[in-house]
Amino acid sequence: MIFVMLRVMALGLWRDRAGLVLAFVLPPVVFIVFASVFGAGASGKLDVRAGVVDRTASAQSHRLTRALDQVLGGRLTLYPDRPALLDAVENGRVDAGVLLAGDLGVDPAPVTVLIHPGRRAAGQVLTAQVNAVAAQALPDVMMQREVMRLGPLLALSGEQRGRLGSRPPPAAATPFVTQEVLGGGDPIVVYYAGAVSILFLMFSCMQGAMSLIDDRQTGMRLRLGLSIGGVAPLLGGRMLWLVALGVAQALVLFGVATAVYHIPLLANVGPWLITAVCAAAAAAGIALLLAAACRTREQAQTISTFVILILAAVGGSMAPRFLMPAALQTLGWLTPHAWVIEAYQAVLWRRVVNERVLEAWLVLGGFGAVGFLGALAIERRRKL
Amino acid sequence: MGTEAALVLQVAKASRSYGGRPALRQVNLRIAEGEIYALVGRNGAGKSTLAKAAIGALALDAGEVRVLGRDPARDPAARRAIGVAPQDIALYGHLTVAENLDAFATLAGVRQDRGDAVREAMAETACAERANQRVDQLSGGWRRRANLAAAIVHRPRLLVLDEPTEGLDAETRVILRRLVDRLRARRTAILLISHDGEDVAALADAVGVLHAGRMVAEGSPDALAKRAFGARQELVVRLGVRSAPAEPILTGQGLTAHGAAALDDGLTWAGLVEDAPARALAIDKALRAAGVGVRELTVRPAGIDALIAWASKDAAA
Repeated sequence: MIFVMLRVMALGLWRDRAGLVLAFVLPPVVFIVFASVFGAGASGKLDVRAGVVDRTASAQSHRLTRALDQVLGGRLTLYPDRPALLDAVENGRVDAGVLLAGDLGVDPAPVTVLIHPGRRAAGQVLTAQVNAVAAQALPDVMMQREVMRLGPLLALSGEQRGRLGSRPPPAAATPFVTQEVLGGGDPIVVYYAGAVSILFLMFSCMQGAMSLIDDRQTGMRLRLGLSIGGVAPLLGGRMLWLVALGVAQALVLFGVATAVYHIPLLANVGPWLITAVCAAAAAAGIALLLAAACRTREQAQTISTFVILILAAVGGSMAPRFLMPAALQTLGWLTPHAWVIEAYQAVLWRRVVNERVLEAWLVLGGFGAVGFLGALAIERRRKL
Repeated sequence: MGTEAALVLQVAKASRSYGGRPALRQVNLRIAEGEIYALVGRNGAGKSTLAKAAIGALALDAGEVRVLGRDPARDPAARRAIGVAPQDIALYGHLTVAENLDAFATLAGVRQDRGDAVREAMAETACAERANQRVDQLSGGWRRRANLAAAIVHRPRLLVLDEPTEGLDAETRVILRRLVDRLRARRTAILLISHDGEDVAALADAVGVLHAGRMVAEGSPDALAKRAFGARQELVVRLGVRSAPAEPILTGQGLTAHGAAALDDGLTWAGLVEDAPARALAIDKALRAAGVGVRELTVRPAGIDALIAWASKDAAA
């Protein structure tokens, strides 16, 4: 008896391909994503993208930037001045910035690491990397600083002091690198408002879109198919509803974020609304496409769970994107999640509507349009 | 059916396969206004496929479909002329009956007097008293009525009824038959898919028998029955207890144990026989003489199952 039931259950799983994928493929995929994110984060091996401004333009600073670029795997970008570097950090083009503003050998704290308040971990890692690179690539310079720091204790002769340079020695406690955290409040609240918003938007839209399958399985699709407008208005009505539902859901979530964390929603309500509509359109399009492609509700539930979790993990809904390896960050741009998070951060934290935001709106609208047209094509072709 | 009546549905040489398995093979079907056409056949014969093709919901591999001379797959005016009452309840459970009807009337393009159309459909199907009740709170019979109301709310010229009386109580069955009569009087063409011999006998002007995707017999119920069975009628005998002496008496009168072998309890015997009333009297007399109790002895016209079996056997031969 026990073995009969065992066999029945085993055959049930074996013949349920979607169930097999959910049981044996999804867990390792999610594991790999999380291990990449948090494993790298915990070991300090973040793929940090950094920007640098070299005001001194000395041989020493060139050696430092070259070595740093090597350590960062070519992810170091040179900027002409501090405002350009600040802009790059604030707008997420780089995770953190390095400002070389003094003589590396003698000036107190000649290197400043500019840290985005939402990416403090990236700033810490970059600070550590600059210190390590300086020790390895500029041993003479670091030795010079150390000797100068210890000068009073070493009772150096006048000639020896002269060889160290004419400037006064740095204060004993002054580090080589200092950190400057940029202002503007804590963007991590906006990050997670966007991240959680798109994650649950996908779930809501999928639930709503599955009425397509219900209609097909009952005679409803037959009846609806006789409507004078054909399939397009029927699908269009669903799309509109899902977008409206998504915007309402985002309103509630961001309303709570505004009430509790004082994010500036009211001051930026226009761009926020456009972002919310675009995000909802993307989620609705993807959900309709999945529902149209699936034959049964069970199949749709399994596949959508898989797709939603993978998109969320890769797109930054589960862990901050800057913690991810560079390849995963690049892959993230294929998900709507990364664009939604980027757009919300821009309009609610940086309070700008720049090219990056317009690009995000366009991409999200594209996700929605492609999903809708794909679903329409499948539904038209499917007939009954 | 008079030849003067305008043709509402015309299916010509319709063929369709699913994964290489033919579901329809060169099927022709014509229904004129005011005509009730019953499509019968065994499970998998192609009835649902033909019905879907007839309303333009299924792309054919070959052949064509015209409703009022237009292709329903492409022409909204043709779709507007069709009403469907699927076998499953095709209504939104979270809406009331009236809200459902209003929605389907709108989708079907009813713009003016939509309220009147909804009220009329509910009156026709006797479900007005549940107008404001949610469909998911209705019993099965009321849902069937509402399902039917949704099919006629836009006053279609062609109505497709898929197993309309399945699971219906006697009262709803009567309501349905009266409705069909009224629709016939209004010149609505009806395609009736049914396994119910009583429905077909009571309602249909024409019957088409599908077998393995082919239309193997077609005609009026009387003409088909006459062609298939001549003067033979169905004789059914139900015994009180299983009895060995009864067997030669019953087989001698041309009856066989009825039902699938696995379920055959030896109590029910049936057969299509000539001169059925006289044979019934003879059987009754012989069984009494043998001391075998008879629970039921029925003479009736050959049913739809017999017609399907005859047509299918004929086609196979």
